[in-house]
Amino acid sequence: MPNSLFEEKLCSDAFLVTTEIGPPKGADISEMLHHIDLLRDKVDAINITDNQSSVMRYPSLGGCLLVKERGGEPIFQMTCRDRNRLALQADLLMAYSRGVTNVLCLTGDCVDVGDHKEAKPVFDLDSVQLLETIRTLESGTDMAGNEIKGAPAFCRGASVHPEADIIQPQLVKFDKKVTAGAQFFQTQGIFDLASLRRFMQYASQFNVKILAGIIVMASARMARYMNDNVPGIMVPQAIIDELATAEKGKGLQKGAEIAARFVKTIREENLGHGVHIMAVGNEGIVPEILEAAETVAARG
Amino acid sequence: MIVAQEKPLDQIRRMIDRYPRVLIVGCGTCMTVCGAGGEREVSYLHEALRLAETRGGNGAHAFSEYTVKRQCDPEFIELLADRVSDVDAVLSLGCGIGVQAIAERFPEIPVLPGVNTSFMGMAREQGVWDERCAACGDCRLEDTAGICPITRCTKGILNGPCAGTKNGKCEASKDMDCAWVLIYQRLEAQGQLERMRRYYPPRNFRTIARPKRIVTRANIEAGGDDA
Amino acid sequence: MYVESTSDTHSRRAERSAVDHSLVPPCQAACPLHMDIREYVDLLAQGRTMEALHVIRKDNPFPAICAHVCTHPCEEACRRGEVDKPIAIRALKRFAVEFGGDRMTQVEARTQHCDKVATIGSGPAGLACAYYLRRLGYPVTVFEAQSELGGMLRVGIPQYRLPREVLDTEVQRLTQMGVEIRTDTRVVSLDLLFDIGYKAVFVTIGAHQSLRMGIEGEESPGVIDGATFLREVNLGLRPSLGERVGVVGGGNVAIDAARTAVRLGARNVTILYRRSRAEMPADPEEIQQAEEEGIEIVFLAAPARVSRENGRLKAACIKMGLGEPDASGRRQPMPIKDSEFSVEFDALITAIGQSPQTPDDFRLRIGKGSTIQVDPVTLTTNRPGVFAGGDAVTGPATVTQALATGRLAASRIDDYLQSKYPLVSDAGKESPIGPLWPETVELIRKMGRLDPPTLTPQARAEDFTPVELGYDWESATSEARRCLRCGMGAEILFQDKCASCLTCIRVCPYHLPYVDASGTIQIPPDQCQACGICVAECPARAIVLRKPHDRRHITEELEHILRSADEARSKPVIVGFCCQYGLFGSGTLAGIWRGARAGVWIVPVLCVAKVEPEHILRAFEAGAEGVFIAGCGEQCSRENTAHWVRQRVEKVRDTLEQIGLQRERVQAIAPGDSGDLGDELDSFTERIGALYLTSVIMEEVKS
Repeated sequence: MPNSLFEEKLCSDAFLVTTEIGPPKGADISEMLHHIDLLRDKVDAINITDNQSSVMRYPSLGGCLLVKERGGEPIFQMTCRDRNRLALQADLLMAYSRGVTNVLCLTGDCVDVGDHKEAKPVFDLDSVQLLETIRTLESGTDMAGNEIKGAPAFCRGASVHPEADIIQPQLVKFDKKVTAGAQFFQTQGIFDLASLRRFMQYASQFNVKILAGIIVMASARMARYMNDNVPGIMVPQAIIDELATAEKGKGLQKGAEIAARFVKTIREENLGHGVHIMAVGNEGIVPEILEAAETVAARG
Repeated sequence: MIVAQEKPLDQIRRMIDRYPRVLIVGCGTCMTVCGAGGEREVSYLHEALRLAETRGGNGAHAFSEYTVKRQCDPEFIELLADRVSDVDAVLSLGCGIGVQAIAERFPEIPVLPGVNTSFMGMAREQGVWDERCAACGDCRLEDTAGICPITRCTKGILNGPCAGTKNGKCEASKDMDCAWVLIYQRLEAQGQLERMRRYYPPRNFRTIARPKRIVTRANIEAGGDDA
Repeated sequence: MYVESTSDTHSRRAERSAVDHSLVPPCQAACPLHMDIREYVDLLAQGRTMEALHVIRKDNPFPAICAHVCTHPCEEACRRGEVDKPIAIRALKRFAVEFGGDRMTQVEARTQHCDKVATIGSGPAGLACAYYLRRLGYPVTVFEAQSELGGMLRVGIPQYRLPREVLDTEVQRLTQMGVEIRTDTRVVSLDLLFDIGYKAVFVTIGAHQSLRMGIEGEESPGVIDGATFLREVNLGLRPSLGERVGVVGGGNVAIDAARTAVRLGARNVTILYRRSRAEMPADPEEIQQAEEEGIEIVFLAAPARVSRENGRLKAACIKMGLGEPDASGRRQPMPIKDSEFSVEFDALITAIGQSPQTPDDFRLRIGKGSTIQVDPVTLTTNRPGVFAGGDAVTGPATVTQALATGRLAASRIDDYLQSKYPLVSDAGKESPIGPLWPETVELIRKMGRLDPPTLTPQARAEDFTPVELGYDWESATSEARRCLRCGMGAEILFQDKCASCLTCIRVCPYHLPYVDASGTIQIPPDQCQACGICVAECPARAIVLRKPHDRRHITEELEHILRSADEARSKPVIVGFCCQYGLFGSGTLAGIWRGARAGVWIVPVLCVAKVEPEHILRAFEAGAEGVFIAGCGEQCSRENTAHWVRQRVEKVRDTLEQIGLQRERVQAIAPGDSGDLGDELDSFTERIGALYLTSVIMEEVKS
């Protein structure tokens, strides 16, 4: 029995579209609400990021509750950087009780890249252990073996990095995540379709769904910045050059163009079971991208 | 080796400010090896403090110096007994253990730390020290081809790598190798990749409760056998 | 630098270092007088000639003579020769003698005993014996058959090698000491000497009798024996030899005779030697200079017969091949059948060896080669109270060996006269430091040997002016800097302080310290190059240099300078640590001193690699406004020292900054960095002056 609407769609053959919304740095949620409203009907699920890039923000779980309230389908992003196993289990119980049942399990970026560099990094669990923890809770006990009153049930997801330059260790990790119960994967930003194709070939042996991550760049400068400072992102020079050809003030348009092109190709050539669009602060452009890519969410 | 770094001079000056007579104590073992608190450093610090005095210190300080073999053993600390009787504070260039040991033995005298104890590590080459061990109390180097995931992986995860690795380097710093890439490569060379494919459950962070104690002597009851 | 010690390297080193080597340097061990060569060469490297001379005179009674004619076995043994060329020790000794003012040296002697001693013969052995006996307080008489003192020094060695004045100065000094000289007096009977009151006699009559070739025609006019020839020339005669002169023999006498012949005008001088160049016993330098002067040496040839024809000598010679080694260890020359050839000469000088000629009336036991037999330990002969030494005992040997014998004889005669038991001394018994390892040799900086200049061959032929011109200051100190200071290196004196941190192993530019089987760090004393880097870098202060040229020495010098600077009260005070070796010991340091701007105080150090950061801070503490370290930079004779100076300067700069002083107040200066050292120093002084002025103004503003 699917644990969520999203999980239902996963079980189908539909081409899936998800996107992410970054919460505000503060208690003023008006913009986030605006984005939720803008996107909730156009995508199959919305991720709310969790202190992304180790920058302190309004929490993912809070954002997911808002998505749910507004009639959207949330994906709760859980990193292991900020909370220990007690807090993580507690949050999972709460999420389930409020109908937030899609979870993306991440290890989390290190604190060094964020804005609270002196914080104590927790990493009590890693992403694989978090997946196992979810399954443990689902089975009716907590991590310490105690019986719990009311077992949750989740649709479990994780991330993967098909374009890693040293790929074998990443594949070992991917295998472990599948074994630990991951049902769907959202990848890091894709720019090289050949790598994606090779990865899909490998991943097809597993009964999991892969959503290719598409990053929307706003300018060549942004691309270069991300290359140098954001973990897991490797924008190739050709894309940077293409971005550079944009007229002044039209960088984002160019980025959207490129993103749309990727989405279309991936769908047409079956290079993924779906896409996960990361607009990184420019959430408003997502509908345009979907239109341009002639991709419409599987409604229902 | 325990590796430490000398504290900045102005921090030391602030610490000793209110104490006119200061005994600078060095350590002849780890602190000598890592160059932070041996006899030579004691002597140099002494000279630097005196120089600082001449260039506008507040109040006059009188310094004495002495280096013991180790500051972590009571017998060696005992050698300081005569020397602390006429000072107002001890500035220890020993590691955190040494500072506390001296403070415990001479509780009436303030003992100040002159170095920042940083990690347990080894020399890569002269003057370059790398952390190697976190004293987790649950060594699993068997499964990681002798590369510690706790010290050498920024996040200390047991099922690595994460997605942040680029060019075999860690997302935290381009100078740091990704430990899990190294572990993969070495396990592969040894034909033991199955160790990495295994699932490692969450660590026991409390192998020994803090403050930790290990007792190596047997507990023998006085009064003979019961059995 | 991380040096991996495989168990192979480790055990090899431990093996080599476990051999019991004492620390006697090879030069000292090879010297017949056992002189402290290492010490005086080190003093010369610093330009301290008078002190060097003082060290020399401790063991050598006639340094001026040795400086000209010693055969320098020390140089043969010198370990620098394993790296490039040996140190030019003899020439350096001459530099010390000349620049150290040996001519002014006075030697004190008072009569303290009444037993009179006679030496028969005034060669080096006799003169040395007289010198030492006189110092011990004995009345000494030197009997000399010739009209002038010196023995072979006077009559055997040509003046272009040993100038007359040098010998005369030494003889005069003996007279000043109170030695009685009786020249033109040939002693015919030892009994007579005892009868007239001498209590002991030292027979040192030398070996002046030329050996005969034993060939037909040897008596012909024009055939001259070499010893006689040289004697006559030294006494002032100028025999005319004609144009073509031949010399038979291969030792120093033969070379001397040939070169003297050139100076007497012979245009064509040929030496005939029956063995090959490798076996020639003459000094290689002499042979080289002879060939430069145009003398031809024909090897593997000897005259078989001499005849006189048409007013000229005709020598029928025969070629030689080398057969089995003879008693002397050299291969026996064997005439090659049917290889005769003829050469014509105006004069033929024979110089194939000399032997002593002891009067029968002396009633001394004579042995092989007509030499007087003595007990090697006590130098006593078969007659009580009669001692013998020098060429008369050994056959022709070297000047320095004779001096050593003379010194020994004096002490033995003293034993005899005081009825003391003649103890055998241990000096000279220890085995010297072993050879350098090939790996060490590879790492030692190569520096070519600087020989003193000589007259051109053309200039030499004109007269008997000394051929060798002697060093100037710069060359001498540069040459002396090449010395490896064998055995004066670092040792881990305080093993209890050693934390085995391995710093010494990692910083040694010669990769010498190692961990032995028991886990103790050892520094091989016979390989250490005494650069001092490990001494300064040891975090436990466990290492010292055997010669205290390190921390203690620098601290003392520094305190002394700081006191002077304080008393002088001129501001600002700038302290400079300057290397005393070569570059600085000679010209540049003197230059800095001479052109001393007021307030620049030099602390002389023996290589700036020994200056520690603490010394620099101390200078600032005592009131210096600026400190500079002036070393030889990349020209330092030790490896990598400039790197460590820079490291330490950086460390001090960091500390200064934390105290609120400007980083530029301390600076390392080396030649070749950027232009003239003097200019760099000038600009440094200016900057410090400006900083000082600013701080003074700030003080005034505050108050």
